[in-house]
Amino acid sequence: MKKYAFVGAGAVAGFIAAVGILPAAHGANDMSAYRQLDLFSDAFERVRANYVRPVDDSELINAAIEGMVSNLDPHSSYMDAKQFADMQIQTKGEFGGVGIEVTMENGLVKIISPIDNTPGAKAGLKAGDYIAAINGGSVQGLNLNEAIDKMRGPAGSKITLTILRTGDKTAPKKPFDVTLVRAVVAVDEVRWHREGDVGYIRMPGFNENTASGLENAVRDLKKQIGPGIRGYVLDLRNNPGGLLDQAVQVSDDLLPSGEVVSTRGRHAEDTQRYDAHAGDITDGKPIVVLVNGGTASASEIVAGALQDHHRAIIMGMTSFGKGSVQTIIPLGEGGGALRLTTARYYTPSGHSIQAQGIIPNIAVASGSEDDIPKIARPSEADLPGHLAGDNAPRKPNPNPLRPPATAPKTGADGKPYDFQLITALGYLHGKVALNQPNQSAAAN
Amino acid sequence: MNRLLLLAFGAALGFGLAAAAQHFAYGAIGSSTGAQLNRFGLAFERVRDNYIDKQQDRTLVEGAIDGMLTDLDAHSSYFDPKTFEAMETKAAGAYGGVGLVITVIDGIAKVVQPIENTPASRAGVKKDDVLIAIDGTAMRGHALDDVSNRMRGTIGTQVTLSVQRGNAKPMDFKLTRQAIEVERLTYRREGDVGYVKVVAFSDRTDPDLRMAIAMLKKQIGPSLKGFVIDLRNNGGGVLQAAIDVSDDFLNAGEIVSVRGRNTGAVERYDAHYGDIANGKPVVLLVNGGTASASEIVAGALQDHRRVTVMGTLTFGKGSVQSIMPLDNGAGGALHMTTARYYAPSGRSIQVNGVVPDIVIAGGPGAPEYQREVELPHHLLAEGPPPKPLGRAIQPPPGKTYDDFQLAMALAFLHKTLALNDSPGHI
Repeated sequence: MKKYAFVGAGAVAGFIAAVGILPAAHGANDMSAYRQLDLFSDAFERVRANYVRPVDDSELINAAIEGMVSNLDPHSSYMDAKQFADMQIQTKGEFGGVGIEVTMENGLVKIISPIDNTPGAKAGLKAGDYIAAINGGSVQGLNLNEAIDKMRGPAGSKITLTILRTGDKTAPKKPFDVTLVRAVVAVDEVRWHREGDVGYIRMPGFNENTASGLENAVRDLKKQIGPGIRGYVLDLRNNPGGLLDQAVQVSDDLLPSGEVVSTRGRHAEDTQRYDAHAGDITDGKPIVVLVNGGTASASEIVAGALQDHHRAIIMGMTSFGKGSVQTIIPLGEGGGALRLTTARYYTPSGHSIQAQGIIPNIAVASGSEDDIPKIARPSEADLPGHLAGDNAPRKPNPNPLRPPATAPKTGADGKPYDFQLITALGYLHGKVALNQPNQSAAAN
Repeated sequence: MNRLLLLAFGAALGFGLAAAAQHFAYGAIGSSTGAQLNRFGLAFERVRDNYIDKQQDRTLVEGAIDGMLTDLDAHSSYFDPKTFEAMETKAAGAYGGVGLVITVIDGIAKVVQPIENTPASRAGVKKDDVLIAIDGTAMRGHALDDVSNRMRGTIGTQVTLSVQRGNAKPMDFKLTRQAIEVERLTYRREGDVGYVKVVAFSDRTDPDLRMAIAMLKKQIGPSLKGFVIDLRNNGGGVLQAAIDVSDDFLNAGEIVSVRGRNTGAVERYDAHYGDIANGKPVVLLVNGGTASASEIVAGALQDHRRVTVMGTLTFGKGSVQSIMPLDNGAGGALHMTTARYYAPSGRSIQVNGVVPDIVIAGGPGAPEYQREVELPHHLLAEGPPPKPLGRAIQPPPGKTYDDFQLAMALAFLHKTLALNDSPGHI
């Protein structure tokens, strides 16, 4: 049996090296299991025979497996054969599509933002646009994943989206069609630029290209900035996670030695330790890691490892708190796969992040969290049915640094004013001390 | 050991369905029923052996049955043994709730109204609170029936509602279930018209209605112009009550027919002689919250031209659910859509709803209703499309009404509003 492990809070999913563990036999329970399966097959038969219309057996079983698994916790789920195939494509970090981030609103698909340099962005699709139909078919009644499926397809193929644009006075009143040619869209690419003598690296997720992306970024920034490079800002804000092995590799790149993370499952023999290998690609330069409530899972592994080894200063707001590992368990040819919570992970100091999150060394508010309704940004501890944390809660600093009331909306470069990044740069330039009076509670 | 479990599973099924055994008894290949069941067995095993915390086998299977049922359509669900037992004792009055009227819009369950003097209102649950979880199970994406069923149970037992109010942190309300009076119908005289509001269909509805009509006849006397039966926001209830209420106004003819999957299984319900309103004009008021049993009444009386249906388009639930106990109830019960019903003219109400004879707008502030057609996996409409919904009569500008639809119903009975005054009438 093949097992793949991944840690991801959002749509990002993945798998790592195969580990051959066969489930242990639990003979004493077999009678109980037998009786329960009998009950299930009875229910299944009744539905097959009596539901108002005939239903496909495999649809019923898909729904049953999904019901069984999704009841367990918010991160366990079932993927049917198609979703499983899509997941494997997605973790490669690229797919054929139009290049827009979408959500569901009022039964329509709403564009959150077009991704730069993709067909969607080039065709002028805008944040806030609604997609009313895909290739002439209404999106009403589709769920978000079904709509996304319809928009994906091989690079080079055509797709027509019917767009409804509101809130813009110059926009057409009626829905209009936009025809696009799908292209290979890279998702969650590592991006970087220099901020004076500091290297800024943005990591939006963890897919198969993430660690190599970091390595490229550091190499290029060293070349751009030269020996005067003061340090790095690693931006993990709103990074929902992804592949565990990539989180381990990213941490390893920045740590000369020591444990990165350990995962512990139900059985003691499932415990796994991941250790750093010699070498630090940044040559020991100071690092600030930016985190916020959207920093989850694999991102929290990186932040936790670098924090525990005092290799980086963590700055921003308390992270999401997803300390569990999901394993992808295929159910045979064409049978889809389970995404099952099988382990908790622990930072090198033995902390579980579960329902607690990474508490920044320097708490810095962005000034915008308060503008977003709480319901749109729950933390792990807010999710119904979440796994309980297993260490004493640590208190985040209740008084983060806040942007001055006079802060402009945009910086001098025209980009949105980013108080957390400004503070990180200030810290690297020695202008923000770790032991500010109001910060003592956050430093550990 | 794993093998053994799977084989045992296959054998169990074979035993239950000897007649069809050849389809699956050795059906480990392809997409036969047996292979599908084996796939479930494999998933079950993987979860019980690998999930981070040990789970009860029973919990896993109940989750599976629940998932299978709720995926069928928004009206099908699973009653776990505890819930089912509580429902069984309903007749003895042991079945209770917390006293919340809720709605589900875009997969989010929201409080429409806490009923006064019930556990929910006493604990401080408020209108517009979002129900995010019940007893720790997230409610996002669950159907209305399912959310409602989870709040019900044996009187005296507890249920924990996790509620989000505005942007605040979710809060938990631990409530003790108590008997919730199903609101009984109410009636009053509106000048020379008798007005009866039916909020739900229960065993008491028909006797209560007969009593109400008799009292109104006595109060108003020979000048009685007619009746308004208000079915707005009546979400349905017991099928038999809908049949009895329809029968009250009809002398003969079919009321409704119920057809399951097998064409042979058709149940017809016919009217008996006698009209409690003595043939006086009757207006039925309906809106988007008029569903199910209410739509049976509206469909039957409209098809027989016994009433004038006024208001807005109804919900469109044309399906019937049955309760099937598993393992004599020890395994809970399936609450599953097994049939569709048809109005006397043979039309299905499913999705199409009942189109009012005179369309009257709800007036300012009237709520918007989620309709059957918006529910995931709803059964499709059958037959020819319904009569198009005409333009609604709107309240004249500058005039305010307590209840514009009722005012129009009374005007109709006083013949100050004619059927073809309606811009919507075709």
